[in-house]
Amino acid sequence: MAEVRSSRTVLTSITAYGTLIVISIFCLLPFVWMALASVDSNAQLFLKWPDSWTLDNYSRVFNKEDGYRWFGNSLFTVLSATILVIIISGLGGYALSRSRAWWKQPFLYAILLIRVLPSTALLVPLYKILLGFNNAEGAVVRPLFGSASRQVMQIFGFIDGYLGLIIVLTAGQLPLALWIMKVFFDGVPKDFEEAAILDGATLVQRIRRVLIPLALPGLAAAGLFTFMSAWGDFLLPLILLSSAELSTLPLGLFRAFLRVNEIDYGLLAAIAVVYLIPAVIAFSFARRFLVQTFSGGVKG
Amino acid sequence: MSTPMIELKGVNKRYGHVQVIHDVDIAVADGEFTVFVGPSGCGKSTLLRMIAGLETIDGGDLVLNGKRINDVPPDQRGIAMVFQSYALYPHMTVAQNIGFSLDLKKVPKAEISREVGRVAELLQLSELLDRRPAALSGGQRQRVAIGRAIIKRPRVILFDEPLSNLDAALRVQMRAELQKLHQELKPTIVYVTHDQVEAMTMASRIVVLNQGRVEQWDTPIALYSNPVNTFVAGFIGSPKMNLLSGTLGADGDVTSFRADAGWSVPLPGRSLAGKIGERVTLGIRPEEIRPVDDAGKADFAATVAIVERLGAETYLNVTSGDATLLVRVQGDLAMSPGEPVQLAMNHDAFHLFDQSGRVIAA
Repeated sequence: MAEVRSSRTVLTSITAYGTLIVISIFCLLPFVWMALASVDSNAQLFLKWPDSWTLDNYSRVFNKEDGYRWFGNSLFTVLSATILVIIISGLGGYALSRSRAWWKQPFLYAILLIRVLPSTALLVPLYKILLGFNNAEGAVVRPLFGSASRQVMQIFGFIDGYLGLIIVLTAGQLPLALWIMKVFFDGVPKDFEEAAILDGATLVQRIRRVLIPLALPGLAAAGLFTFMSAWGDFLLPLILLSSAELSTLPLGLFRAFLRVNEIDYGLLAAIAVVYLIPAVIAFSFARRFLVQTFSGGVKG
Repeated sequence: MSTPMIELKGVNKRYGHVQVIHDVDIAVADGEFTVFVGPSGCGKSTLLRMIAGLETIDGGDLVLNGKRINDVPPDQRGIAMVFQSYALYPHMTVAQNIGFSLDLKKVPKAEISREVGRVAELLQLSELLDRRPAALSGGQRQRVAIGRAIIKRPRVILFDEPLSNLDAALRVQMRAELQKLHQELKPTIVYVTHDQVEAMTMASRIVVLNQGRVEQWDTPIALYSNPVNTFVAGFIGSPKMNLLSGTLGADGDVTSFRADAGWSVPLPGRSLAGKIGERVTLGIRPEEIRPVDDAGKADFAATVAIVERLGAETYLNVTSGDATLLVRVQGDLAMSPGEPVQLAMNHDAFHLFDQSGRVIAA
């Protein structure tokens, strides 16, 4: 009887692990292909062992293609959006946590709704609004800066400018970040601030010396979520950016893929790896903070 | 009393339409240990936070050392506070936590570390200065919280239920340490608790609060011996005073209390003329009732419901008519539920309250 049971347990384990291994292989395969193809001198569409190992694909990403610029653009826009989200969600989350205003609950659900709505559906009105802003801005900038106005608009423009993309990325990531920070501050007792008030801390000192250190895990979680999500965004840069100088990594990858005559799988794989690395680094940081943030508040 | 350190004159507090503090008038002398005690929701913490400056005052005056401080910011009142949650900053070490207020005032580093050292020695925290609060025990955190308060050399220290997060044994120990600290440093202390034992053991004076009103304000023993109403009578003292309802009757010249259960006791030496026939409440502490063998010496008969034998003393829960009474007997007493018992009361220890609950003077 005992043997029947143990053999059944073994069979169950084999089935379970077998299934899991198949699923894992299925999930890992694209990454394995990518990693191998990126160092293959003759990469093909199918999975194969490299003919010869080379870093040539990577050197072409940065030397022949605009790799540095793409990477820089991506990093600049996404980091700017992340910093903005951290600041706004930190202040806003605190306000939403401490306020007793009647509109608090409706507001929180309303911003969640924004998050739930597919942003693709809102692209046309969004583009229209940004275009309106952009035209108005252009009308002011052009007479002021003359021939330099194109450079100015590439930085501060709402369409085909860093600022527009940063603002839209920020707005898109804010709802979740606000929720994270609101819930996080809910778990931070008011006593900390009141103790600081009695110790003679000014508002700025309370924020800098007490609230920010206490909120750091939450801010890190909100920031990393924002970074990872904005880093992976493809549609917004595609719609909002058209100049080659402003192109971000996903756009570079997309355009390299679209070239009709030469599909250079080695190059594509190398761009993809470069594109993945920051996200993986961000995630490895995020794990630590996420556990702390979502397992509940500040431990005294 | 010379000029009191803290004086509350007709202090009021409202949250919207709800009045939570009603015309509180009390004064705390310099160096006195005053305890605010009352059931949860009675407004004691609100009152404390008003003294600290964390809550606004809607009416009346708050006077500190002769100066009205209603509108003085919390940090300029010379008041320190120890919070129920301790509110130790988890990202700072013990030394940084204790020295935080000095650091904010830009006191030189050397002086901060000297002051922190002095406080740490006083509170036996010297070994723990480099630790973070998370690595401390409950009692140690409590001491750090106290250290953070006393380093400012405040005129007044406020305590908001500081011992309620500690286990029973530690609570007794911290109670003793707080009293020692008070005797050494002689600060004025206002201490909030819902635990009347804490109030009785530590206070020089107790303020009993109920529903935002001061029910009574006096020394612990005075509250115990002369409660002014049934609320204080029932709140101060552990176990609670027995409160029996009945009517005043007359047996010849002597007024008597006729319990609803049917028995009556004389109330000699009280001028209760004109009150005969009124509904009253008789209060008697559990230790003033004793079982007797001789029915002739007893005031009334009852039935034992529950027996709690603690060794040094025995608590009898007895029923007489609809009323349940607690009797506290010295020594061990082997009785069992259901047994009849004859009880005698100390007639000099009666408290008599009128229908509204106010005491009827002897």
